[in-house]
Amino acid sequence: MIPHYQILSPTFGELVWDHHPTDELLGFQLAYLTYIQSNFSDALAEARQGFTRISLVWKNPKNQQDFLAQLKDLKLPPMQLSNAIWQVPVCYDPEYGQDLNSLSESKNLSLKELIQLHSEPVYRIYFFGFLPGFFYLNGLSSLLHTPRKSVPLLAVPPGSVAIGSSQTGIYPMQSPGGWHIIGRSPLTFFDSKQPIPVWAKPGEQIQFVPISAAQFQNWNKPYPKLLRK
Amino acid sequence: MSQLLGKAVLLRCPAGTSFQDKGRPAGAQFGIPTSGAMDQKSFRWANHILHNSSNAVALEIAQPGLRIQFDQACLIALAGAQVGVSLNQTSLSNSTLISIAAGDLLEIGAFLTGSRLYLCIQGGFQVERYLGSGSDFESITSPYKRSTQEVLSYIPIPQSNSLGAKPKWETSWFESPEIEAYRGADWALLSSAQQELVRSTTFHLSKFSNRMGIQLEELVPNQLEDLPTNPVFPGTVQLTPSGKLIVLMRDAGVTGGYPRILHLTEEGQSKLAQKRVGNPIRFQLLDTITG
Repeated sequence: MIPHYQILSPTFGELVWDHHPTDELLGFQLAYLTYIQSNFSDALAEARQGFTRISLVWKNPKNQQDFLAQLKDLKLPPMQLSNAIWQVPVCYDPEYGQDLNSLSESKNLSLKELIQLHSEPVYRIYFFGFLPGFFYLNGLSSLLHTPRKSVPLLAVPPGSVAIGSSQTGIYPMQSPGGWHIIGRSPLTFFDSKQPIPVWAKPGEQIQFVPISAAQFQNWNKPYPKLLRK
Repeated sequence: MSQLLGKAVLLRCPAGTSFQDKGRPAGAQFGIPTSGAMDQKSFRWANHILHNSSNAVALEIAQPGLRIQFDQACLIALAGAQVGVSLNQTSLSNSTLISIAAGDLLEIGAFLTGSRLYLCIQGGFQVERYLGSGSDFESITSPYKRSTQEVLSYIPIPQSNSLGAKPKWETSWFESPEIEAYRGADWALLSSAQQELVRSTTFHLSKFSNRMGIQLEELVPNQLEDLPTNPVFPGTVQLTPSGKLIVLMRDAGVTGGYPRILHLTEEGQSKLAQKRVGNPIRFQLLDTITG
């Protein structure tokens, strides 16, 4: 999966992959991103990652030309993605997941089936976006794909676990949101009092672990356990 | 250290007043918006004439009525919007560079042209920085907006100076409707008729305009589908399914799923930041090679 480079301005361009987002593609993206960050650190102003692109902002036009000249011969192997899994507790209870009942009805699934479909898979973290500390995750069962709400909720509570279209995610902070809320996690997902405000990195994995309302209320650890395989 | 700092009391702080600097690009990897001054050109110039570091923190002011009183001498510069300014209730004819004495009261009156004023102070406002930036943003800085009665810290100077140089801030550069832009990453998804519409339409700023983005009134009808979520930046112009164009500004999220049809130059972003609701703009497309 060798990307091509699209020049967008004299100091700005994108590595482009014409593939669907998969773990294999993510491995290549992270390989290129790491390589560029370590070999062009003096020339690079900023790099941003999405599902199929990496955007690169250069300090000056020559930096971009130099990179382009070297990219021609660059064929990197994919980065090996981690097997470790962050265990993220989630209380799937209508008290915390206000759309749980309506979603189970519209999907013709029992609550138990819905929770199982959501908490069984291991999800891969692709990148952060939308809100500070918001993971873009890959791995939602197609049985749970649901169009976003037509009227967004003005204040989704922090920790809310939700489904929108083919994505599932966790709101790190209170925010307006159009996704269907199915539960809530007691963890902290973003903390700007820490030098690094998030505990996970792109390429790592998470799994949702169902907990009861009583466990939710008594939860006192802000960060998840990392299960190594 | 803190007793050595000067204190400036915001006796009246209109909504939309915030600390801003060059922004927080190091935050994008964690999903944190870039933030920073909406009009980087004016911000940079005011810091420059004060011989400040290029990242010294300034106040961005978006409404008339700010009153601020300084307890020690300092030197300040104003750039961006053209506004009425008075010092100790006497209006100033040239308010670009102002020498402040202990106890001076500065008042910002009507905005004559432009939308955003930068109040820079020699040495910069003394604020906590996160990931290299003091720019306000909810969940990053605490508090994340400035309010009446708040006390701001700065580095005082021994006594107010009589000024040698008298620089004068000019605003003609942001008054023309032409906004320079490059073709965006998804420009090629548009038909040639849609591309022509983007080029030739005189768009107007809608009331849905804030630090996250500026929505334009005129439509570019399209049947484009949402794309995989990919990076966006301040200056990215998104085309929504309803045909609305949204120019993303400094507090926009770092990724998006709408087609990215244009990318404004930094000068174009600064110019747009000084436009008002209802103002006309036209996109002037630049060539990537010679631009």
